[in-house]
Amino acid sequence: MLWACILLPQLALDAALRARDDADTPLVLLSGPAQRRVLQAVNPPAAALGLRAGQSLTTAQALAGSFTCVEHDPAAIEQLQQFLAAWAYRFSSQVSLHYPRVLLLEVESSLGLFGPWPAFEARLRAELRALGFRHRIVLASNPVAARMLANVHDGLALECPQQTRAALEQMPIDRVGLPAEAASAFARMGLRQLGQVLALPRDALARRFAAPVQLHLDRLLGRRPMALGFYVPPDRFDARLELNFDVESHQALLFPLRRLINDLAAFLAGRDSGVQRFALHLEHAEGPDTCVPVGLLAAERDPSLLFELARGRLEQLQIAAPVRNLRLLAEDLPAFVPQRSELFDPRPQQNQPWEQLRERLRARLGDEAVRGLTAQADHRPECAWHSGNGPRQAPPVSSAPRPGWLLVEPQALPGIGVQLLTGAERIESGWWDGGDVRRDYYRVRTASGLQGWAYRTLGEDGPLWLQGWFA
Amino acid sequence: MSTPGYAELHCLSNFSFQRGASSAQELFQRARQHGYQALAITDECTLAGIVRAWQAARATGLALIVGSEVRLHNGPKLVLLAENLSGYQHLCKLITLGRRRAKKGEYQLLREDFDKPLEGLLALWVPDGAEDDLATGRWLREVFAQRLWLAVELHRGPDDPRRLQQLLGLAASLGIAAVASGDVHMHARGRRALQDSMTAIRHHCSVAEAGQRLFANGERHLRPLAQLAELYPQALLEESLRIAARCRFDLGQLRYQYPRELVPEGQTASAWLRHLCEQGQRWRWPEGIGDKARQSLEHELELIAELNYESYFLTVHDIVNFARGQGILCQGRGSAANSVVCYVLGITELDPLKSHLLFERFLSRERDEPPDIDVDFEHERREEVLQYVFRRYGRHRAALTAVASTYHAAGAVRDIARVLGLPAQQINALADCCGRWSDRLPPPEQLREAGFDPDSPLLRRVLALTGELIGFPRHLSQHPGGFVISEQPLDSLVPVENAAMEDRTVIQWDKDDLDLVGLLKVDILALGMLSALRRCFDLLYRHRGRQLTLASIPADCTATYEMIGRADTVGVFQIESRAQMAMLPRLKPKNFYDLVIEVAIVRPGPIQGDMVHPYLRRRQGLEPVNYPSEALQKVFERTLGVPLFQEQVMELAMVASGYSAGEADQLRRAMAAWKRHGGLEPHRERLTRGMLDNGYSAEFAERIFEQIKGFGSYGFPESHAASFALLTYASCWLKCHEPAIFACALINSWPMGFYSPDQILQDARRHRIEIRPVDVCHSDWDCSLEPGAGQALAIRLGLRQVRGFRQQDAQRIEQARAERGWRDVSDLCQRARLDARARELLADAGALRGLASDRYRARWSVAAVQAQLPLFAGIEAPLEAPVDLPQPSLSEDMFADYASVGTTLGPHPLTLLRRRLTALGCRSAQALEQAEHGDRVSVAGLVTGRQRPGTASGVTFVTLEDEFGNVNVVVWRDLAERQRRVLVGAQLMRVTGRLECESGVRHLIAQRLEDLSPLLQGLDVRSRDFH
Repeated sequence: MLWACILLPQLALDAALRARDDADTPLVLLSGPAQRRVLQAVNPPAAALGLRAGQSLTTAQALAGSFTCVEHDPAAIEQLQQFLAAWAYRFSSQVSLHYPRVLLLEVESSLGLFGPWPAFEARLRAELRALGFRHRIVLASNPVAARMLANVHDGLALECPQQTRAALEQMPIDRVGLPAEAASAFARMGLRQLGQVLALPRDALARRFAAPVQLHLDRLLGRRPMALGFYVPPDRFDARLELNFDVESHQALLFPLRRLINDLAAFLAGRDSGVQRFALHLEHAEGPDTCVPVGLLAAERDPSLLFELARGRLEQLQIAAPVRNLRLLAEDLPAFVPQRSELFDPRPQQNQPWEQLRERLRARLGDEAVRGLTAQADHRPECAWHSGNGPRQAPPVSSAPRPGWLLVEPQALPGIGVQLLTGAERIESGWWDGGDVRRDYYRVRTASGLQGWAYRTLGEDGPLWLQGWFA
Repeated sequence: MSTPGYAELHCLSNFSFQRGASSAQELFQRARQHGYQALAITDECTLAGIVRAWQAARATGLALIVGSEVRLHNGPKLVLLAENLSGYQHLCKLITLGRRRAKKGEYQLLREDFDKPLEGLLALWVPDGAEDDLATGRWLREVFAQRLWLAVELHRGPDDPRRLQQLLGLAASLGIAAVASGDVHMHARGRRALQDSMTAIRHHCSVAEAGQRLFANGERHLRPLAQLAELYPQALLEESLRIAARCRFDLGQLRYQYPRELVPEGQTASAWLRHLCEQGQRWRWPEGIGDKARQSLEHELELIAELNYESYFLTVHDIVNFARGQGILCQGRGSAANSVVCYVLGITELDPLKSHLLFERFLSRERDEPPDIDVDFEHERREEVLQYVFRRYGRHRAALTAVASTYHAAGAVRDIARVLGLPAQQINALADCCGRWSDRLPPPEQLREAGFDPDSPLLRRVLALTGELIGFPRHLSQHPGGFVISEQPLDSLVPVENAAMEDRTVIQWDKDDLDLVGLLKVDILALGMLSALRRCFDLLYRHRGRQLTLASIPADCTATYEMIGRADTVGVFQIESRAQMAMLPRLKPKNFYDLVIEVAIVRPGPIQGDMVHPYLRRRQGLEPVNYPSEALQKVFERTLGVPLFQEQVMELAMVASGYSAGEADQLRRAMAAWKRHGGLEPHRERLTRGMLDNGYSAEFAERIFEQIKGFGSYGFPESHAASFALLTYASCWLKCHEPAIFACALINSWPMGFYSPDQILQDARRHRIEIRPVDVCHSDWDCSLEPGAGQALAIRLGLRQVRGFRQQDAQRIEQARAERGWRDVSDLCQRARLDARARELLADAGALRGLASDRYRARWSVAAVQAQLPLFAGIEAPLEAPVDLPQPSLSEDMFADYASVGTTLGPHPLTLLRRRLTALGCRSAQALEQAEHGDRVSVAGLVTGRQRPGTASGVTFVTLEDEFGNVNVVVWRDLAERQRRVLVGAQLMRVTGRLECESGVRHLIAQRLEDLSPLLQGLDVRSRDFH
């Protein structure tokens, strides 16, 4: 087999630069804790200022006046590696991300399609350049050798084990992937090149070094295999039902829809995930497809719920042209967190579970009309909640009595007939965001007998301002 | 309605760290304005702020009630108030108990701590509103009986009237009285933002994230009486007055006593001190004490007796005596330096009769200040002395004093910016604007320069809060060596808590607090040079058979002073820095007093006060010495009319401006503090007026005042300078006469001083001392001396020089080698039980040269040594065919030497580069000696030092080292900015510039810098280990 190693020496930096169009601005990537920020990587203009990877930010600031700082984001790098693996997957079915910042491709079996190697290599390079990734490519007779040779070489193509060994022998001992202590031990014995080490008697080496050292040397020479994990493309659900005739009514679409949804649910159950978003494609005999996106507030996989939802969306649709095929595409498949269900379910048969009601409301009223509500720890009533989704951990809420209904804007309360039910509760808070309030709050009863919550700003006369109603 | 009276019984100052948002001073002033009748300071489980509160109380005339808020572990929150001395003592013990049980900064009090009766301690209980309140109340009533109140604290919560009724109901059902209190966290509502910020700091979050952890409003301040009357029934307010009236304890009632065991039964302290002095005098002057010394001794003893300081001297004597018994070198400084009593008691080694010191006697009747004796001990053995003190007096009677660390600008702006949610990078940038120790907000221009807009709302908030936070105490830490020792258990005087270091306990008061309450402290400090000197004396005895002490080193040695005049002072005490060395050839010290001046003159104080150059010119006879008056001639004669010492400034104030001795002492304190607190202006007026009245010119008065300001907090007392000068002389004498011993002792005492072992060794080699490499066949842990050529001694590097090598391993090597020498590498590894790491370190250091030839072969050999079972010990390892390993090259050896031993005995790196450097037109340090003033030259060397002293307005001093010595380079600010990269980054630097020679001092004024570091890489591209 033949292995190509694509080494991406500046992956993190390239990731940052890809997103920007100011290539001439000095830019550095930062990492490390707040007390000791370190330059992770620098672009060429920054290097021209004397900035180097590994410098502390303080040193860098002492050296150069202005440069752009970008936070090093390991998660983004991980995503990018997945993306690159998917890209490489087109060229080989054996793509490995075993080494960080490196793509290993088994290419011998692909040479028929993309070869010969020089043409194949040129194509890889052209595409990587277009994508904006600096790279080094080495071809060798085993994956480990290809990976290590890429440390110092670019464009090397070694198609047989003899050539590979010859190239390896010239490698500096600290660049061949040996455990650090072994590499430094060799160096301290005066052995600076791999060739010198390979020339030593095996038993003398075995007495002095632990087994992994010999194993690694054997793997470099292809004498022992290396188990590589291979890239598997992500799952998605994509299914299409061909209808036997052109359909022009919602009603006739419901049956095929239910089947697709059931398949989807089975698929989801099989991989223990839920679906947060999916799309129905109505393929017409002529003209472009009609696409019906369906989104959920949380990942679900109950077929009846999903079906209800899809039906709600479908029924809002004006079917413009006859539908020939129905396709369901789901790519957003997050992990599913199941509901707790009680052993003795107290719900009457006719009642809908809350999730179903919620989604149904959303389907009927529109996404904007139904929103999640999250409590926020803040003494100011208007800041004590905000709308948004997400099952975020709710912060502890104050034990003081608060009205269930807050007005969007406080309203002046006419003074007549209003009765104060409690003493003043003083709230002074929020100076840090410019929204400082200083108010005395009262529980009040209006002339009509309603109980409200009203305040007066400290040091101001004038009416009470009604901010909410108690139930 | 008549205004009700009120006393606030629950109030935190800023010594409740990250909670209280006002200082005691602010609280007392505000309470007084509001007409409160008393104010309790009840910081959380601490009395660290109580002395300051006491000061504030005295300044405002408002009564202080001493107390503390505590929250029991899984229990109620209580405010404890000291009714009388006994209550105070119980409180101290309780706090000590809680603090000693927890780690530094925390406390833990348990219910059982309240089992014994706590007489004299009143308790206010702050109920949590929890279900078990009633049960808790019953328990508290049992513990405190009639001394328990229920604290009603109303802060305009959701429904205060109802809460009031609930609490009154609870009190009634328990049959205890209720009292109004405020849970005060700040003196005024305006501190609300700071208090919120401190809460966020405490919880390590931003204010926006702090949410319900913030108080809902700013009511926790000292509220006007009228407002309180709105909230509380009259009876509850009146109850506070009744409680306040019961609390009669005042810190002035504390009585401190010195430990008594130092005086034998039946003796008085005074008689015993005299007895010890008689003994000591026979030891110091075996041939009889002279009249002059006798007179001084009598005078001092009289004074000590009059001021009642016998026990203090006995205590210091006891500690010093212990050290001497253990062979630990020590030396007192401060007021001890010119005292016969201290000399005969062995507290100082400075013979007051020989040292020609002219300053005021060590204690003065008029100046009401306690004796101030700091004793320095060998830095490696000071811990023994500390532990002796703990052992001798017991942990309950001896403790270190605390230091209340306060917020400087940088720290304050960091904390504030963080809680206001600024990103880390901006926080750093803001802190950088503040400078290191500054206590002031950075000026707006500087902020703009750093890219901030000081007018933006956010930054205005940051700055305002930072301004409030600066100067606030932040935490307690331990004083470097200030001990408090007492006859009674310390925790009846002041609470004691754990320090961060194990086996240390710290009282909750700092040095200034002690002075106010009348506690005396002894400073037990650490000094590296004493360790080195003791080692010198040991080596001198072992190798030369000569027994010397600090006191018996031959005085006035001409050769020593000549060496000092050449600035040949690498490694000696105090006069080894570059600035000091630059001064020596100009000053050319000839006697001990010249050394005292030399030690004192090269310091920020005299430099900023512009005293150095006038003194030099006068000494060189370039400028006449004249005195404004005969009276001042006496004061300034010894320093040629230039004020150098604190003592002189005080004398000047007395002689020229009519200060009393006590006032002069205040001036000294003000000088030390003006940079941080101001307060020197009144003295300017007073001094100037006094001098004008006494016929001095206004211009003279102005100049004197500027000099005093320049002294600032750096002003050096002559008494310290003299003590230091003694060590300087001793170290110089040893370096002059026994350079090998001196260098060896210095390296063995490292880390200390200014120079690395490498620099010390290079200096030794320049003095033709033979240095021998580390070798397991000869080396001990320490560097040692071996017979060299003729009388000379050679230095054998010790295993301590091998980076990362452990002392235990070295000791096993020493022991096993004493039995018999090594047969081979595996014999060494087995008998000395060396693990793989130790073996490899030895191989890399070249320490196996006697057993396995060069480093590479040594490393190959040790790699084959396997851990062997004892059963097989002695069985030969299987024979191996020899392997072909390369030879290390000269430069490889050099790099390995530096990486492992930190120095090389082979050629200096620049030797290997010399030919190329010469081709580049660089001269060596040696060749530079031939150059003349004004010559334009180019040199290259390893950069061994970059310094930018605060006193030298933007100048950077660079030290270059080559195979012949050091070259001192001066880089002016504009060049430094233009070539910042080279200046900061170069390891090997070439400097082209103009040579300046003045009185034997040579500087190269840089005009161009060049980074030659790549040449070093060129020596060996494969090595990246160069440091």
